[in-house]
Amino acid sequence: MSMNNKTVIKLENITKSYFIKNTEYPILRGIDLSIQESEFVALMGPSGSGKSTLLNILGALDQPSGGTYLLTGKKVSDMDKDQLAEIRNKYMGFVFQNFQLIPTLSTLDNVLLPSFYTGNEDVKRAKELLALVGMSERLENKPNELSGGQRQRVAIARSLVNDPELILADEPTGNLDSKNGAEILQLILSLKKDYKKTILMVTHDPQIAKLADRIIILKDGKIAKKI
Amino acid sequence: MNWKFGYKLFVLSAKALHASFFRSFLTTLGIMIGAATIIIVAALGEGAKRDIEAQYSNMSVTTIIINGPSSESSPSKLSPDDIPYIESVASVDQVVPLLTGKVSVNTHENVNGSWTVVGTYSNFAEVSKLEFSEGDNFNQESEDNHVKVAIIGATVAEELYGSRTPDIVGQTIVLGKKEFEIIGVTKYRGGAFGPINIDESIFTPYSASYRYVLGKSGKFSFNVNATSLELLEPTMTELGKVLRDAHKIKVGGVDDFRLRDMGATVASAQSSSQTMALLLASVGLIVLLVGGIGIMNIMYVTVSERTREIGIRKAIGAKDRFIMTQFLMEAFILTLVGYVVGAVSSIGIYYLLIGMEFKIVFVPWSLLISFVVTFLTGMFFGYYPAKKAASLDPIDALRYE
Repeated sequence: MSMNNKTVIKLENITKSYFIKNTEYPILRGIDLSIQESEFVALMGPSGSGKSTLLNILGALDQPSGGTYLLTGKKVSDMDKDQLAEIRNKYMGFVFQNFQLIPTLSTLDNVLLPSFYTGNEDVKRAKELLALVGMSERLENKPNELSGGQRQRVAIARSLVNDPELILADEPTGNLDSKNGAEILQLILSLKKDYKKTILMVTHDPQIAKLADRIIILKDGKIAKKI
Repeated sequence: MNWKFGYKLFVLSAKALHASFFRSFLTTLGIMIGAATIIIVAALGEGAKRDIEAQYSNMSVTTIIINGPSSESSPSKLSPDDIPYIESVASVDQVVPLLTGKVSVNTHENVNGSWTVVGTYSNFAEVSKLEFSEGDNFNQESEDNHVKVAIIGATVAEELYGSRTPDIVGQTIVLGKKEFEIIGVTKYRGGAFGPINIDESIFTPYSASYRYVLGKSGKFSFNVNATSLELLEPTMTELGKVLRDAHKIKVGGVDDFRLRDMGATVASAQSSSQTMALLLASVGLIVLLVGGIGIMNIMYVTVSERTREIGIRKAIGAKDRFIMTQFLMEAFILTLVGYVVGAVSSIGIYYLLIGMEFKIVFVPWSLLISFVVTFLTGMFFGYYPAKKAASLDPIDALRYE
């Protein structure tokens, strides 16, 4: 890993607690992490380790209780709701375990959606991305007319449409059979190789984690191990 | 947010609503009915107003009407014998006796119908500003000699003779059982003179109408004009006194006549028609309120059903106000469609009511009013569901099953 690379993510002492009836439940207890451009990082850990919470904070879906989150130098941890929405829109590409496509929209409209909120819908680019993921033939289909593997391809195309800094993949193969899972994994790997995308992927599968540049294991709200 | 975004949002929302067409239709049904109600109510109100205006349009504000008592049990003692007493009041300008009743009318070509016969004095023509398309008024001599002559209203002439006979004057007409000679035809003028619709009446000298046609079955009244508006009140007081004298009513006895001035009559008729319109308008508003609650209900259901969708939209960068706008847009489209369908069907209802001979006059501004009211209803009741959608937490919303 070359140190000349730009730092995409820098977390300093990130904490997150939930309060239920005035009792504090700490979920993250001081996370320090930096991820460089076009790095592929796997995030592992048992359930309850704070993985999801960390992913939500990284994805600007949630704010930490303390600490600093810098995304390409921008202090995300200080931002308000609208600014977070803009960060998610322009800098993040989400790939979820259960795809999270909008059921009433066609393949093409689903892919266009992030750019709709940016105000620069580019149908040509959306079609190119759908060609990249091998979905050119299904532009007008609704999600319920697609297989799981196809839906995840559409979701990947959607994650790329606004050319984000960071792809956040939350167990992207978790709902797929092994053949489709392998194909999706290859697709994600190609994003790093061919498009120099920075990827953070949550996974339970050590075989998949091995494909990453680095593995971070979370335990009890702390980074237990960096591999 | 710009126009292009707004347009895309409109199309998107319209598609979403169209996808659940029947539900959208039911949701907006209340709005449709509410919008139509407002338009129809305005038309009914205007119709009633015009009707009142027309009824009194030919009367002067200095007019006083003297009627018999309202109860049927005590017959009116009013008769032309009261005229000298009435004329004894200094501020009285004109006194016109009116004896009215519906009778069957036959031409000698055997066209018949039932029309109002009005027995009156020759000064009726002057007071009611009668104009003749043919012939002329009868005179005092006809009155004195019970001469069977008649002036027929424009509508009566058309119904009985059509346009095929230009010379109606000189023909005879059977009123009840007696033949009268037509000596005049009035010009069409619309409106009415108090209870009398001039175009639809036949006028004869009082004496002839009493003796040959109506007799005691006719309704008798006086139309009295005061010399000026300022003297209206004292004139009425005086008239009350002289009529009690004339009818020999003792102190403490009940009047066997009623005095009404036109101003008060018009005002009370107008106020009752306004009350009616207000009542109907509030029905329209209640319908809209219920319609609005319907929209709110369904939108809450929609927001719950689409929680995941809202989560996805937020996750990929939709700001709260975009989500808000999207749901308000759906409420707006529902309202707009409801309004348009309501307005169009109100036109159908309008012609239906006209066909049923309702007095109804379309008021253009009711389209605007009902639009504004339905729009506000939609936005008001769409606001809370939209707000709820916009304030959903994206993480929770994404996990929602």
